[in-house]
Amino acid sequence: MTVKIRFFAQFRELLGTDIMTDVAAGTMFTSLITSVAKKNPEGYAAIFDENGAFHEFVILMKNGKRIDNADAARTAVMDGDEIAVFPPVAGG
Amino acid sequence: MFSERELERYKRQMMLFGEDGQERLKKAQIFIAGAGGLGSPVSIYLAVAGVGKITIVDMDEVDGTNLNRQILHYDRDIGRKKTASAEEKLRELNPDIIVNAINMKIDASNAKKLVGNADGIVDAMDNYPTRYLLNDIAIAKKIPFFHGGIRGFYGQATTIIPGSTPCLKCIFPKAPPKELFPVVGVTAGIIGTLQSNEVIKYLTGTGELLTNRLFIWDGMQAHAEEICIERNPSCEACGSTGKKKKTGKKK
Repeated sequence: MTVKIRFFAQFRELLGTDIMTDVAAGTMFTSLITSVAKKNPEGYAAIFDENGAFHEFVILMKNGKRIDNADAARTAVMDGDEIAVFPPVAGG
Repeated sequence: MFSERELERYKRQMMLFGEDGQERLKKAQIFIAGAGGLGSPVSIYLAVAGVGKITIVDMDEVDGTNLNRQILHYDRDIGRKKTASAEEKLRELNPDIIVNAINMKIDASNAKKLVGNADGIVDAMDNYPTRYLLNDIAIAKKIPFFHGGIRGFYGQATTIIPGSTPCLKCIFPKAPPKELFPVVGVTAGIIGTLQSNEVIKYLTGTGELLTNRLFIWDGMQAHAEEICIERNPSCEACGSTGKKKKTGKKK
């Protein structure tokens, strides 16, 4: 099955965006983003902490609906899902 | 009542929202938190639009590294208080409005009083802790909070109407770490101008506000999009089941 991953702001600079990826059924949200983010260590570090958990400020969405960071490890992605990962932009 | 000079100044926009709309702008008070990258275009456009009273608060002095984006401040202003520089420019831009520039750090002890009777708060801050504080004040006073944030070629904005839209904490419950953020002036211009546009629409009662949507700007791709955002019932700032903040909330 295929899902689309969309990164925003500095995550996009580091990892690109609109990434179409083939995943096995039962793949969890966190493991999918982990595998994609690991392609760039800087990108990975921007999204995940040293324990492999999402930084608490990272916002996760699946098909326009918010996913709690703590639930992402047990939330399976489905064929056709659009996943958004973005940081709060802080400058002014 | 408008003077002949004001009628001439605002002629082209009164074609859009009439003398009644212009009167609403004139009677309005807007609080702008920050006289930096976002605060510059926000205050300039609200001043020239004729918002009657603009309060702008900042604690910094103009630094040479500000000048790529903080268009209120000129080379000659390096070392001056940003508020003094801002007040001077805004008064020159429009002598028919009141500019109240306050050199102060916004914190929990003074935020409510600083905002006073403002009709809206514009978020032109560069950090989330102060944004959260102003979000709380907006909720307590039931006034809109016009959020904007920038980094590099990227920006975001949304209009928060307490009681009906998600608040800042619903959208971003946790602050990102502090950083020395890269930025080009045009990003501040794009997002700050969008915030001003929201304020003008809100005050004049025209158009559709940027509510329940997070506007996201990607200047590298010249692409804008929006994400639907929802209230969090357990939000600690505005949620019905969230804890009450000491600034108080109305529902």
